[in-house]
Amino acid sequence: MIRNSFLIYGLAVLSAVSLAEYRGWSLNRVDEVPNVPKSVRDNPGSYRSVYGYYHHYTGGK
Amino acid sequence: MSSGGPTPAGTPQVKSLNCPSCGAALTVRSFSHAVTVVCDNCHSILDAQDPTLKVLQKFHAATDEDPPLIPLGTRGTIRGNPYDVIGFQRRTIHVDGDPYSWHEYLLFNPFKGFRYLTEYNGHWNDVSVLRSLPLTSPGASTLNYLGETYKHFQTATAQTSYVLGEFPWRVRVGESAEVSDYVSPPRVISSEKTGKEVTWSMGEYITGRDLWVAFKLAGAPPTPIGVYENQPSPLGADVKLVWSIIATFLVLLVALLVACYSMESDEQVFDQSYSLDTSVKKEASFVTDIFELKGRTSDVELTTTAHVDNNWIYLNYALINEDTGHAYDFGREVSYYHGYDEDGSWSEGSTTDTVTVPSVPPGHYYLRVEPESQYYRGTIYYSIALKRDVPQVSFFGLGVLALLVPAGLITWRSINFEHLRWAESDYGDGDGSDDSAGDSDDDDPDRPIDLGISDEEDK
Repeated sequence: MIRNSFLIYGLAVLSAVSLAEYRGWSLNRVDEVPNVPKSVRDNPGSYRSVYGYYHHYTGGK
Repeated sequence: MSSGGPTPAGTPQVKSLNCPSCGAALTVRSFSHAVTVVCDNCHSILDAQDPTLKVLQKFHAATDEDPPLIPLGTRGTIRGNPYDVIGFQRRTIHVDGDPYSWHEYLLFNPFKGFRYLTEYNGHWNDVSVLRSLPLTSPGASTLNYLGETYKHFQTATAQTSYVLGEFPWRVRVGESAEVSDYVSPPRVISSEKTGKEVTWSMGEYITGRDLWVAFKLAGAPPTPIGVYENQPSPLGADVKLVWSIIATFLVLLVALLVACYSMESDEQVFDQSYSLDTSVKKEASFVTDIFELKGRTSDVELTTTAHVDNNWIYLNYALINEDTGHAYDFGREVSYYHGYDEDGSWSEGSTTDTVTVPSVPPGHYYLRVEPESQYYRGTIYYSIALKRDVPQVSFFGLGVLALLVPAGLITWRSINFEHLRWAESDYGDGDGSDDSAGDSDDDDPDRPIDLGISDEEDK
């Protein structure tokens, strides 16, 4: 019982890692924006990034 | 009075007598094997081999003080043979002054002889007397029997504190014996030393549910409490198996990692250097040239390297598909600070940052980049590099973790089970001594239990 459970579980882990690698998954968070107009190439400032108002860390100890 | 011979099956043949003390009817099931029989009405222990049933001892106990869970006279099947329950006794040891009692049921089959069932806190053992002696060494904490090693668990002085039924020996309430247990789950070997006589027996753990079925008892057996000395670990045999399976999958995972590194293209598709003049307040966003991402849907790794020195640069990125207009929007900061203080030199951050954009379909793409930094901090030079189809070690790390965690949990549960088992032994935490080493009178194992007994034999 436990042998089969772990065999199935191990195969599932291996399959998940394989699929993640094959599909190019990532742990990073990236927003997807559909239908960006082609005019952005001519006027880059017209694009408004969702990260445009990021609060910057100024560092230092 | 009636008598009958043994029958291999069916209704047990019994011999009926009357107690000479109170006149209550007595039942003897083991015939000439019975040496003593206890009147369950007045608790007189009688000499079953004396024609007049001489009273050997009386002890005071309520009739229902300790009723057997398996009533006397019940017939059950143990290892394919029918046995009658003919005797019942409670035995007590003292550990650190606290009494611990277990029950022993004497079973009889006229062709197979006697065997015992013991019960403690819902844990049961099927016990029979050993036919040959185990191999022991003086001072050793183990013994060997039929090639199997048994570890010493506990030595204590046990006193008989309650008896019912009949026994093939001169049972006495208050009689004591030094009992030593050696365990090799699911078996336990016990020695009982009374004077110079030592009796060895072997018990095998049996579940109450199996016994209830074997004796066709109504209801359910008591739920076992805690972990018993020879209770088989529910996971003990599984730990090695689980680790062997996990080890196999870890090897396969490493093989997969090697395969990914050899098969994934890890192709550099873009590498360009830029600068940000922080002294000029103007629109800083720009777009890169178009580059092609080939192959199947896969990840894209973007690395930003910036020459920041006690400074930061933040870049709003949009990886935009020229064909479909689909964009992947994200922001990355590169900051690096360093200096000296009373603790010495310090630094934090890095001049390089890497991010992986997941599952990007093939196509023609460009980057829209919008750099930001503090004003009037000079010119910051930075470069942007893109790689396609890069192996992600993080997933292998997660895979290793996913494999190790359940195996670790099973191992921990198994170790915890053994810890609970041995906590009750002479070697348990906070109780490294056996009860025969007690210092106070309260801990004296030879202290007789106040059982209200009167010995009639000496009168």
